[in-house]
Amino acid sequence: MGLCTGCSLLCDDIVVELDGDKIGKTMNLCRKGHAHYNSLGSERLTPSVGGSQVGIEDAARAAGELLAGAENPLLFGWEGSTLEAQRAGVDLAKKLGSAIDGPSSYSQGMIAEKILAGEIPTCTFDDVRNFADVSIYWGDDPSSSHPRHMSRFSYFPRGEKRQKGYEEDREAIVIDVRKSPTAQIAADGFFKISPGGDGAFIEALTAALAGKIPKVEDKKRMLNLATKLRKAKFGAIFTGLGLAHSLRGDLSGFTALVGKLNELARFSVIPSLGDYNTRGFNQTLFDETGHVDAVSFKDGVSYGRKFGIARFLDSCDAVMVVGSDPAAVLPAALARKLAKVPMVAVGSHRTITSGLARVSVPTAVAGLEAGGAGLRTDGVKVEFDRLVGSVHLSDADVIRRIMEEV
Amino acid sequence: MAGGRELTVITYRGIFQEVEEARGMYSDGYRDQSAVVALDGRDMKEMGVEAGEPVRLATASGDVVVAAKLSEEDHPGVAFMPASPWSAQLLSGDVGEDGFLELKRFAARASPGEGEVTTIGEIEAGIKAP
Ligand code: SF4
Repeated sequence: MGLCTGCSLLCDDIVVELDGDKIGKTMNLCRKGHAHYNSLGSERLTPSVGGSQVGIEDAARAAGELLAGAENPLLFGWEGSTLEAQRAGVDLAKKLGSAIDGPSSYSQGMIAEKILAGEIPTCTFDDVRNFADVSIYWGDDPSSSHPRHMSRFSYFPRGEKRQKGYEEDREAIVIDVRKSPTAQIAADGFFKISPGGDGAFIEALTAALAGKIPKVEDKKRMLNLATKLRKAKFGAIFTGLGLAHSLRGDLSGFTALVGKLNELARFSVIPSLGDYNTRGFNQTLFDETGHVDAVSFKDGVSYGRKFGIARFLDSCDAVMVVGSDPAAVLPAALARKLAKVPMVAVGSHRTITSGLARVSVPTAVAGLEAGGAGLRTDGVKVEFDRLVGSVHLSDADVIRRIMEEV
Repeated sequence: MAGGRELTVITYRGIFQEVEEARGMYSDGYRDQSAVVALDGRDMKEMGVEAGEPVRLATASGDVVVAAKLSEEDHPGVAFMPASPWSAQLLSGDVGEDGFLELKRFAARASPGEGEVTTIGEIEAGIKAP
């Protein structure tokens, strides 16, 4: 059985027929997973230094030298890396006394951190499949971002206490600013909010749950939703970037709402995290420092937004980007700052970020060309073997090799 | 930000864009899925833009030309755009006092675009410019 590292669901039921040392026929992959499998043959990163092709050894040496010569290096990315590479990355950051950060610092890191700290209750997808009768997708469109979310776990499947599946046993509620593909599936369960309106929705729903008249246009509908949630036996809330950005990191209202819901029934939160091992990096860094992003090891362990990439770019003099493409995501002004910092890019594929790098070190694609482990977005550990051979080292081996040069 | 229609732009991820991204960011397919903006029908009419035609989106941070798409929903004054290097050109790099970097929502001016949709090469060149 193969596994897919195309997103943080880490689907482990992929049937793969091998054609020699190549991937042949596959079953159970979604459209995105197919594209991920097919990407093995295109846009691969090659080892280079200063724009010239070199061998992997020379690239790793140049990477180590670039980092070792810096006063204020930043190690960024890691969410598309194996647990083994993430562990090696934290060790490298400690050795260098560098800052370490990932895309969580501008996405759902705050929600993930509260879950890991036990301040927001969570559960596994297996619990959701077996017990959940209400699934709330909040600023989250898994039909697009995590295509098998609803079919494997959260809406369509039968489960231990949910033998009738979505037809009778499950309710989908979507809170979003647009009628996303997930909202189309939820049909009557779609609550359209205005851009930035999540805070007001939280307030109105909290009021309705407390039996007060909510301050919204359609009071009846909000009261009906509160009644539905009061009757729930097991609720799951899936959060997306839309919620995190709308609340601008202030999760107090959301945390209070989840607390209120838990007075009525068990309600758990699972963030729909982006890259396949975002949760793994969150956990790895949290176990070491108590934080999921924006950490510096310069003087012991320090944490703060100033160590997140958006601010740290002002003071850093070298950056290593691992398994990530921040130049494609960050505002152009920050991407231009990133372009001016001497950079090492470590990854399997060519990206906008790797095009800015002084040193490029390619890796095998985890789950296809290299084994390892990752944490699914609900925190369940998934181990995997390689399916086919590769000329490239695994990401963990590349990081360890670079560390030898530091 | 002079001229054009002021819109609130919200970014999102679409499955077809995710697929094209997995295939590689340098493909025409990725550009077709990313360099688009879904507009309200009335907004399009008042701007004099038809589906598929170029639209220039501009903010204080930058500007890009993307293709107009007619939204299936009504949402006057609001536009939806896939999160991509194209939308990133329009985002502010300012980190708020709360340390939060806004990547989902911004105000932009939209006007009928001249010429071709911005290419990924042009975006890369802008990032690398001295
Ligand atoms: S849902 Fe995610 S992990 Fe599963 S097959 Fe699709 S891309 Fe791969």
